[in-house]
Amino acid sequence: MPVLTGIGVAPGIAIGPAYLYAKVSFDVERREIAPDDIEGEKSRFERAVQRAEKDLKKIIGVTREKLGEDSATIFEAQQLILRDDALYSAVVDAIDKHGMNAGYAVQSVMSKHRQMMEASDSEYLRERANDLLDIQERLIRHLRRGRILSDIPVNSIVVAENLTAADIILFSRKGILGCATDFGGPTSHVSIMARALGVPAIVGMHTVTNHVQTGQTLVVDGIRGELAVDPDAESLERYKQKQQRYERLVQEDKALVPLASETIDGHTIGLEANLELRDELPLLKEYGADGIGLFRTEMILLMESRLLISEEEQYELFSDVVSSASPGHTTFRMLDLGGDKMMPMAHREHNPFLGWRGIRILLDKPDLLVPQLRAIMRASAHGPTRLLLPMITSITEIHAFRKHLDDVTNSLRKEGHAFDEDIPLGIMIEVPAAALMASELAREVDFFSIGTNDLTQYVLAVDRGNDLVSELYQELHPAVLRLIAETVTAAREAGIPVSLCGELATNLRAVPVLIGLGVTSLSASPVYLPGMKRVIRAMRMSEGKRLAERALASANADETKQFLDQWLEEHACGVNFFLEGSRAAG
Amino acid sequence: MIEREVTVTNRAGLHTRPASMIVRTAAGFKSEFFIHKDGYEINGKSIIGVMTLAAEQGATLMLQLDGPDEEEAFTALAKLFEDGFGEVK
Repeated sequence: MPVLTGIGVAPGIAIGPAYLYAKVSFDVERREIAPDDIEGEKSRFERAVQRAEKDLKKIIGVTREKLGEDSATIFEAQQLILRDDALYSAVVDAIDKHGMNAGYAVQSVMSKHRQMMEASDSEYLRERANDLLDIQERLIRHLRRGRILSDIPVNSIVVAENLTAADIILFSRKGILGCATDFGGPTSHVSIMARALGVPAIVGMHTVTNHVQTGQTLVVDGIRGELAVDPDAESLERYKQKQQRYERLVQEDKALVPLASETIDGHTIGLEANLELRDELPLLKEYGADGIGLFRTEMILLMESRLLISEEEQYELFSDVVSSASPGHTTFRMLDLGGDKMMPMAHREHNPFLGWRGIRILLDKPDLLVPQLRAIMRASAHGPTRLLLPMITSITEIHAFRKHLDDVTNSLRKEGHAFDEDIPLGIMIEVPAAALMASELAREVDFFSIGTNDLTQYVLAVDRGNDLVSELYQELHPAVLRLIAETVTAAREAGIPVSLCGELATNLRAVPVLIGLGVTSLSASPVYLPGMKRVIRAMRMSEGKRLAERALASANADETKQFLDQWLEEHACGVNFFLEGSRAAG
Repeated sequence: MIEREVTVTNRAGLHTRPASMIVRTAAGFKSEFFIHKDGYEINGKSIIGVMTLAAEQGATLMLQLDGPDEEEAFTALAKLFEDGFGEVK
């Protein structure tokens, strides 16, 4: 029984038959289209062309604005190519005359042109062959959509190279038991979505699609990040027991939902939810969240796959969110694009994590910033609302944002809209520079929110998606903890609250340390909140402080992990099996 | 039908942007439009076609137009070449 490993990103054990979801290889097989279906196939192609045109329109808009007309030209040409006789009519012909499926027709027509260009002496033409490949892939992707999605068998474990959040939402309606993918990390949208939907998931498995075949029995252990393929009877029994144990714990956790989140000695710790979709709102009550510590606003854009969502559309969603969370507050993080949350952009950044992202994009693009800000402000009339800025590295960015805030406030007032005049403004502390400047920044804002995922990768200079170095990504590294300590101290001195919304909050062994350091609330995907509450209710503040001091002074993360695990075992029995060998938690 | 020669005057040659301009301009006319270069003929209303010409600065192309508005079409197209597509010559 081979056991493959990856990063467990959504807890739980799933046992069921594998379904190998179409690989992202762009080779399409030839199928014969029945004469009755020819018209349907042609309109399928037309729809794919329209979708591709929409994509390109969006890409052109952003490219033109950010990089100028010249860079946009390539995509304008691609747009022309979509309706070019040499492509469009040739594909329609191939469907019509040869009963060829649209995907195969696109592939064969385009390869002919491409081969000609690739064979050319002109470097320019050889490069243009890539444009054709781009178009080909875009069309095939759009052709695939719609057909393949309806093919997922019910109650299976989906294995794929990569999945999007939208994929997993569609699958969940079909009854997906679990999933395992080659690509992705804990903060990929697919992972966030899997957790939100309670679908056990493992990502970052690299070659799982080569090792699994449709129909094989799989066990997804989303706690440990392990995938067992065709397990023998004995192992299967063991997994079933673990599944029961996990489900029992989940049941017990449910009993914790109505209880207060406080330490034995009476310190209340806020437990808030990280959310990003309207569908997730019921989870607030289900898992007993005190409010929304982080509402990500990127998803609505990525889901709608268009960059500019109107103020009205955003307002409608945001006011719903605020009302659902009330009397708890809702913290809206302004659009955090860039990094791994790709903008539809022509320009490939060499190093997107050190590039155009978060507040940098917002300040460059008032047409993204202003409508969103107005929508959030207007939503603040419906309940307690907070504003959170991503990727802040300096005070000047806060000042620049405040100018927009003032403008928006003035015009809303003039227009007679109701909103919270004293809306709290906070910043993400996710760049080491911000943590080091925390005292100065604390005087400028009303709260801090520590984003440990980025903070960890920036301070340790480790991309955890990179196998060669992922072992070095240690959330409990003393350097990370010291930056958190610095931030918390600055916040306390300035009298502002500080929450922590990274994955570290869900690492149960870290919870006592974070509370001991003085973090006032923790925010995480709702499914993790009861487990975190269990740990909080088992600790005293004095213990937290002692553990925090020890962790700060520790020479390395492994040592820290050891004494924290020991503490957990002694004090919060029942949760430690979550941690056994879990790469996600390490 | 008219057949007249034009010369590529802009320094960068018929790269993507000029090719798009040719195709867009030609699309505004009813006449059929072919371009001949070195014994090779392509449909001038096809961007893929025009791109595959890979015509460089100094190259001579034969524009062949056939239709009710062939004169106007030629004038408009020839002007693009003369102006070097608004680029550096």
